[in-house]
Amino acid sequence: MGRSRVVITGLGGLCGLGTSVREIWAAMRAGRSSIGEITTAPLHELKVRIGAEIKELPEHGLEKKRLVTMDRYSLIAILAAGEALAQAGLKIDENNASRIGASVGTGIFGAETVEENYRGLFIEGRSRANVFAVPRIMPGAPAGQVSMEHGLRGPVFGVTSACASSNHAIAIAADQLRLGRADVMVAGGTDAPLSYGVLKGWEALRALARETCRPFSADRDGLVIGEGAGMAVLETYEHATARGATILAELAGSGMSADATDIVAPTVEGPAAAMRACLADAGLKPEDVDYVNAHGTGTKANDEIETAAIRRVFGAHADRLSVSSTKSMHAHCMGASGALEMIACVMAIREGLVPPTANYREKDAACDLDITPNVARERKIRAAISNGFAFGGTNAVLAFRAA
Amino acid sequence: MADKLSQEIIDKIKAHADMEGGEVTPETELNALGIHSLELTEIIFDLEEAYGIEIEMNTVEAWGNLKNVGDMVAAVRELIGAKA
Repeated sequence: MGRSRVVITGLGGLCGLGTSVREIWAAMRAGRSSIGEITTAPLHELKVRIGAEIKELPEHGLEKKRLVTMDRYSLIAILAAGEALAQAGLKIDENNASRIGASVGTGIFGAETVEENYRGLFIEGRSRANVFAVPRIMPGAPAGQVSMEHGLRGPVFGVTSACASSNHAIAIAADQLRLGRADVMVAGGTDAPLSYGVLKGWEALRALARETCRPFSADRDGLVIGEGAGMAVLETYEHATARGATILAELAGSGMSADATDIVAPTVEGPAAAMRACLADAGLKPEDVDYVNAHGTGTKANDEIETAAIRRVFGAHADRLSVSSTKSMHAHCMGASGALEMIACVMAIREGLVPPTANYREKDAACDLDITPNVARERKIRAAISNGFAFGGTNAVLAFRAA
Repeated sequence: MADKLSQEIIDKIKAHADMEGGEVTPETELNALGIHSLELTEIIFDLEEAYGIEIEMNTVEAWGNLKNVGDMVAAVRELIGAKA
């Protein structure tokens, strides 16, 4: 007996591009980048002044009593999950709540809360931290808050693997369904890292772009950090069809690997192994794939190595692939990146349109794939993979297929 | 009766409460303030700091029995008195 197919019946997201999947996809189609000056957080003497921020959160109606218990990264996770659940049309009640769970990736932590408390203690001379400091900061908080807000009583946990967190969270959510631990999983990722301490740390790494993120362009000079959250409602095909749900796409498979070499420097073999494992898990041949949503951070090293890894896995078919890095538009939203890129993949499959790599200027011989420069391309997409590679060498790749 | 101590405590509570324009008085029930129980602890710690009093954990538990803002004021008043 074959294993159950896992399908996506709802999507939700917020990032610099917009506060709903509809808005995010409209921006991606248009190749519009949301990278700009950071205005919502105090930057003090930071050199880095750019990011992709959510200018204004949508109306959410959460009580103050609830809001004081959560960091911004939990709040946006709740909102993304709410949008995804609404689209899925799932009624959660006493009968099914314990069969519905959530797995939420984060690559950072509740950064805004850390910032407020460190400043309070070290600069303003306060004698104690906020009583909610711990429950706001902890990496399991977004998952817990999503479960509370939406009444999910199944398996609920946070997942963390730096920039690949979302992909790991989504992959392991599918496992919960196949293992019979849940009938429905809300899965994705969240991060709100546009705060002084986090940006200061990235500044020290010298990995940040001066002007904007230009993946695969010869004049690229680094990544740009963004904030956001993305969620999918995942369920088995049988469960979705039994309740008459609309299936948006199939989560066809996932592949994971570790470089096990260096905490920051990527390898070709690690990412290649994850892509290969993903194709095998999804039952896809390289030539079945039409679109690769690249990890594409815009750093010199990543984009070159990722190009080499894609060539190694796809062979001659690599030149027939459409590739793009949507990080050129929503920036690198850390633990939410994979979830936002899942939105790009699912919408690309549904609409037959490859979202472009924005901000592209100059050809780089070391990045010679068709990276869909600046303008979206119409193309039937049978299957897409989404790459997530991370500091720590922890790689996770997801495959999506037309429903 | 809103003496200086009551008024100060009410002001601290107001900073945390979600009263949608409603007034906070000594008669206001604590559970009507829209404050998370853990945040109430935060207010108690604020008072500790402001009045140089020490509230032991078992006292905090005892405060779980407080019903309204006036009860809270009376408890702080008692601790200040004990200190003097």
